[in-house]
Amino acid sequence: RVSSDGKPPKFQPPPKPVIIDRKTQKEERRFLSPEFIPPRGRTDPLKYYIERKDMIQRRKVFNIPEFYVGHVLAVTTADPHARDKSNRFVGICIQRGGKGLGATFVLRNVIEDQGIEICYELYSPRIQAIEVLKLEKRLDENLMYLRDALPEYSTFDVNMRPVPRMDHEEIPVNKLQVRMKPKPWSKRWERPKYNIKGIKFDLPEHQMKAAQKWSQPWLEFDMLREYDTSKIEEKIRKELSEELEK
Amino acid sequence: MMPIWTKSGEKHAVTLLKVQDCHVLRYVPKEESGGKSAKLLVGGKNVSPFSKPESAHEIFKEAGVPRKQKVTTFNVTEDALIKPGTPLYAAHFRPGQFVDVTGKTIGKGFQGVVKRWGFKGQPASHGQTKTHRRPGAISTNKAAKVYRGKKMPGKMGNIYRTSFGLKVWRINTKHDIIYVNGSVPGHTNCLVKVRDSKLPTYKDCNKNPPFPTFFADGDEELPEDLFDEEIFQFTDPSVTLT
Repeated sequence: RVSSDGKPPKFQPPPKPVIIDRKTQKEERRFLSPEFIPPRGRTDPLKYYIERKDMIQRRKVFNIPEFYVGHVLAVTTADPHARDKSNRFVGICIQRGGKGLGATFVLRNVIEDQGIEICYELYSPRIQAIEVLKLEKRLDENLMYLRDALPEYSTFDVNMRPVPRMDHEEIPVNKLQVRMKPKPWSKRWERPKYNIKGIKFDLPEHQMKAAQKWSQPWLEFDMLREYDTSKIEEKIRKELSEELEK
Repeated sequence: MMPIWTKSGEKHAVTLLKVQDCHVLRYVPKEESGGKSAKLLVGGKNVSPFSKPESAHEIFKEAGVPRKQKVTTFNVTEDALIKPGTPLYAAHFRPGQFVDVTGKTIGKGFQGVVKRWGFKGQPASHGQTKTHRRPGAISTNKAAKVYRGKKMPGKMGNIYRTSFGLKVWRINTKHDIIYVNGSVPGHTNCLVKVRDSKLPTYKDCNKNPPFPTFFADGDEELPEDLFDEEIFQFTDPSVTLT
């Protein structure tokens, strides 16, 4: 290099490496309640827009916490037949169904050896409070098989204290494999149609193999069943965040 | 269809009906029309004018309005006449009113007697030969004929039917939507005709209707949503029973 004054050129330290932490960026979890996503159909989108306005209005007044299937919730509803006119039920969320204002969730618990499932509507004005007691996702999105599992897996203490949450980031996934009562079950859970990963099947090999006869491996490649909700979800998330900040 | 809750916590199912580009097309006086009262022709949803000949556009040209998909008649008294060309809005109806809705039912095609008329059919086993959903006997021996109107297989659906006495729960003036109790004949996005109820129990239910209709350029400023008194509005806190 040609030096300016005859002295050796000034030492240029090498550029510092820029570390882009891709992991923390991707884990920016934004939860969108599944009842906001409109189903595929020929209805006018105006209907879903109006329904969403009502849902947002209700959420502004009453806090509906973020929860998934497998969480343990306590719900207080107004009950005309109870003494205090209110009723508190604790249970594990088995399934979340319905779209729009009619969205429901089913809570299951075993009280005094009697299994009880109650289906609540998220937007019903009778619900006075929803508390999340235990945050924990399971391996499946539908825990209906708990009806045929041993009752210990569905019992939850009615006076359970809310488990304190460590991080505000991750929701732990419980990889519990549930043990079942002897067959017959209400549904043939070993069949591939239900795609259940959370059961420890103690069935003999030939029964598991026979269940695979009902598998439909072409279903995952069926293009007509594809429903890409990413763009719709983005729009709805934007709308939600704008409205809830007002 | 949507759920709606009352202040006591009961749920009712509600159908949303949108009033899309409705205009009054023509006034037919009592003497010209064959009936007992004057008629007003009203047209619904706008549609392209190119699929019909010019002769079919006369009514719309007189009223100064684009071609409508459906034209219906309403029997009107002399004091409720409206000038042709005025637009009609959802605010013509008010919450708490009762309404009849007419529409063409969903077409089911050629259907057998069990689905069409609710016949019981025959048992599945115990010796039945090729007879499980058939009508069985169609008349008696003495009659020696089949009566007119005998229930038999045929085309089912795709005919006009009316649901009577449906309550109007809510009206959205911004998007012109009427929330009507219960279900309504027809598939989603089909055209229906909404009339004031003719049932005798609901004769005096509408206290102060906008008469002859709701005019958008008038002095009245309506809020975006009109609710019935019993509806639970989502701005209120949760229901507590006493």
